[in-house]
Amino acid sequence: MSGILITLLLCLPVFGALIVWGTGDTRPKAQHTLATIFSILTAIASFVLLFFTSSQPTVLLQSGPAFGDLIFASDGLAVSLSVIASVLGSLTVLFSVDYMHGEAQLGRYYFMMLVFIGAMNGLVLSGNLLFTFFFWEITALCSYGLISFYNDDPKAVAGGIKALIITQVSGVGLLAGTLIAFANLHSYQIVDVLAKANTLPASALGGIAFCFLIAAAGKSAQFPFHTWLPDAMEAPTPVSALIHAATMVNAGVYLLARFYPAFAAVPGWTMAVTLVGMLSALMAALMALTTTDLKRTLAYSTVSQLGYMVYAVGVGAVFASQFHLLSHAVFKALLFLAAGAVIHSAGTRDMLKMGGLGVRMPFIRNVFIVGALALAGLPILNGFWSKELVLEAGLNHGPLWGYGLMLFGVGVTAFYTIRMTWLVFFGREREHLHVHETGLFMRMVTGLIALGTLTTWLLAGPFSVLLSRSLPFHRLEVLPTLTMIEQVLMAPATWFALIVILGGVGIWIVTQRRSMEQQSIEFHDALSTKSSFSALFETNFGFDWLNQQVIDWVRSIAMFLQKTQTGQLNWNILGIAGALLIVLALLWSYQ
Amino acid sequence: MNTLSFPWIIIGPLVLSPVVYLAGRLGVQESSIKRRSSFMRGLALLALISAWVPFVLSARIFLTGEKQEFVVESIWLRVDGISLLLAATALTLGTMVLLFSSSYMAGEKGEEKYYAMLLVMISMMIGLGCAGDLFNLWVWFEGMAVSSYLLVAFYREQPASLEAGMKYLVQSATGSVLVLMGIAVVLSNTGTLDLAELGNIGDSEPANRMSLLAAAALLIIGFGVKAALVPLHTWLPDAHSQAPSGISAMLSGVVIGAGLIAMLRALTAVGHIEDLPILLLGFGAVNTLFGNLLALRQTMVKRMLAYSSLSHIGYILLGLGIAMYDGGKLAAQGAMFHLFNHMLMKGLAFLAVGALIYGLYLQNGNNKPLMISDLAGAAQKYPLVALALSIALLGLGGLPPLAGFMSKWQIFAGGFQTQNIWIMALIIFAALNSVLSLGYYTPVINFMYRRSSAGIVLTGKPLPWMISLPLVVMTLAVIVLGIAPGLMDWLTVPAGEQLIVMFRN
Repeated sequence: MSGILITLLLCLPVFGALIVWGTGDTRPKAQHTLATIFSILTAIASFVLLFFTSSQPTVLLQSGPAFGDLIFASDGLAVSLSVIASVLGSLTVLFSVDYMHGEAQLGRYYFMMLVFIGAMNGLVLSGNLLFTFFFWEITALCSYGLISFYNDDPKAVAGGIKALIITQVSGVGLLAGTLIAFANLHSYQIVDVLAKANTLPASALGGIAFCFLIAAAGKSAQFPFHTWLPDAMEAPTPVSALIHAATMVNAGVYLLARFYPAFAAVPGWTMAVTLVGMLSALMAALMALTTTDLKRTLAYSTVSQLGYMVYAVGVGAVFASQFHLLSHAVFKALLFLAAGAVIHSAGTRDMLKMGGLGVRMPFIRNVFIVGALALAGLPILNGFWSKELVLEAGLNHGPLWGYGLMLFGVGVTAFYTIRMTWLVFFGREREHLHVHETGLFMRMVTGLIALGTLTTWLLAGPFSVLLSRSLPFHRLEVLPTLTMIEQVLMAPATWFALIVILGGVGIWIVTQRRSMEQQSIEFHDALSTKSSFSALFETNFGFDWLNQQVIDWVRSIAMFLQKTQTGQLNWNILGIAGALLIVLALLWSYQ
Repeated sequence: MNTLSFPWIIIGPLVLSPVVYLAGRLGVQESSIKRRSSFMRGLALLALISAWVPFVLSARIFLTGEKQEFVVESIWLRVDGISLLLAATALTLGTMVLLFSSSYMAGEKGEEKYYAMLLVMISMMIGLGCAGDLFNLWVWFEGMAVSSYLLVAFYREQPASLEAGMKYLVQSATGSVLVLMGIAVVLSNTGTLDLAELGNIGDSEPANRMSLLAAAALLIIGFGVKAALVPLHTWLPDAHSQAPSGISAMLSGVVIGAGLIAMLRALTAVGHIEDLPILLLGFGAVNTLFGNLLALRQTMVKRMLAYSSLSHIGYILLGLGIAMYDGGKLAAQGAMFHLFNHMLMKGLAFLAVGALIYGLYLQNGNNKPLMISDLAGAAQKYPLVALALSIALLGLGGLPPLAGFMSKWQIFAGGFQTQNIWIMALIIFAALNSVLSLGYYTPVINFMYRRSSAGIVLTGKPLPWMISLPLVVMTLAVIVLGIAPGLMDWLTVPAGEQLIVMFRN
């Protein structure tokens, strides 16, 4: 049964993609309908698969020794991520019906969206590292295609190629790690890597562990590869919500969580993971403070929240990381989609031009506030519970200074969240924007996800049962929801965090004297003109500069090489003669 | 007498080639030109079918394990895994190019020469793959080269085309001279040119050793010109971009691969060379990097594709070097698979670009080169061609689920199996190069799917179905081989094994 369901999860979206694409751009209504139907069918299949989770892998196809069998794992870790991808996928497709209404080339849009959903399912369900890499690359390709969807806009093209190159460069880590595993174990099976980790030579295991960390950091936009995510915000907003907030960027966290039992013993690995998570969480939160672009702010906050998940894996709290992943996927998708509704209606992404929009779009304002409170980590929304679990694990198992820094990050998060919400929805109208009505589908979808944001934390118990029963290598404990509530409420970490959050909000309130939004702008001005910090924040702590350097460097080498291609025959013959001499000298020299 | 089927793969096209030429020359009345040229094309297709039939028979015999040899006077022909792979590569692309050319070349001056030479070139390459002695190897090789000179300089009224042909001729001739010198050295030291015999000689005395190593250097560089090793590649960008598109596809897809195979065959004659793997890996790394960097800034589509061929020869060289380093089957098989896949993908890319040139330029009586900026919005007018080109480019960039990913993966996996830290570093370098190559492949795709079209696209003419047919077939092949790479195992596994056997001592 699980074999059939997994086949459906892979093939339904791809099949749908082909059909939508074949429908042709002259019939947009049919395209919307078909895309919605296929994505919802996929979501249903993933729900059904929840009831067939097991620790036993499912073999779909035996494809020989060179590439390994096509094996799929239907354990809790895989299935829960597949459900997130499929359900949020179908909701964003539904949202797109309004958002992409009247856009040209819908076929291309839905084709890539649906293929992405299928590839994401494949990525998390695959039990064979070769196919994990296979799907890993397809998701990167879809992400590229969708970021560059408005490909007449040079910014979108640049953002797409940046995302593609950076994720592919780090993807080489996954390739190398997989090949090291294959060379030593003669198998691509994930189960084999987990089971035989102890038998591997230390250098090989260490190699795999750090290669996978590189891959994970690239895919999840973590330090030092985080620069691609903000630029990826040129994509249509539903794409940002699905790919760059709720699903694809989780793949890195998934990879780390999946292999945690094998790698935990590698010296320095957990520390490296913790550090990567911490640096990303803090840096991105600081950068979110000064950004004025609504989507970029959300992108930084995604990097930051992913940092919390990576940090959680680093301190050994796999369940907390996955639980936060679930919460974050839901509330960040909500924030992005609500932001999408705002952007769609107001026609700008610049928060300084917005303001006072809450009166004119009260529904969107309300759902956005739900998402924002979850992001800030206030009770009783899902973000609160999962973030507290992460922090508690950090306090108990991680270094104290690390916990302190993460706690500081929580305060910064609260600060930028309230700043963002205020700039968009409250205060005075700074520029008169022609605000459109938000569509029915938009309100329906955001309403549903807001409901999820309010309730998914109740799933903590079942979720932990799902994970602990089907992941034999992870040794997770069952954590009933009530126990979790008790544990979180009794933990000192929670109260520290709440104090810090209130502190963040408090500082924001105190620093404003006259009118709040004026203050926010001035705060931004003050940072951007006077302090050297802001320059640091706005250039991604110099990483944008670093990226640019690499590009310039490659370009100048290419330019130099081009000059050596003179096209003159004498010169060419000289090349042949020279090469002959070199080869001759090489061959003779060893005799 | 089953064993006699395989020489007909070579003889068929070779014998029919002058007939095709004559059919094109006869009957010069203006009124019959159209009929005459389609008759000629039919004949050319028949010639290829006459090669396909014995190929299939011969392949079936080969798979049963029976030896196939053919001797006339001093001409030795043998069938092994590598000859079969080269024959399949040449015949597949040859057939596709022939179908493609029927509209593309229709009405060109000298059309009959085009088909005649194309057939000769295909037959020579297949012969090269079967050659059992060093001298005949060189003769086949020269035959292939001579027929390709004429094809590169096909547009003889265009100065650029003549310049490219001239450069190609001079540089190839230089290479041929070196090969001939190398063969002379081998003969004077060993007294035989039979490759099977030479392979069993083993290590000779030190005095001979030095001259045989010199012969090795001469052979590597001599054949290396045709195989486009950097820095011997300088003829390639001109020749590939100036030739008619079908010929660009042949040159890039098969001819450079044939040069590489000729080099490998010849190198079995000089005994065991300690440094050969290092040399091949070195050339592989340089080719991959230079090819990518040079392609990065090209504005002409065909030139960009030409430079990307350098990097793909680099991947094949890496696979060969790894296979020779530790006798790894996976890398050997991967190298051979990549040779075939590169033919599919690069052939498809050149043919798709050719289709665009045909629609945008040739039919409007224009002979300018196709620039990347001309592609803007091409997908709206030519959705099929744009899709084919996108698939080809993504495959070349090594993205799944396309053929190029699978063969590269085999090479990379073979590299990691050596457990040698330098080779592993080289593989990571090659993988990063693949990422770099996306830096010039993806913008092309992006251009094609733009909403606002380039002016030239708006004046484009529709394409006949005969041009689309090979594109559809090859696109499907690239996708199918990416999903089910095992389909080619019957061809690539014996070829890889043969490679290991050739360099075992």
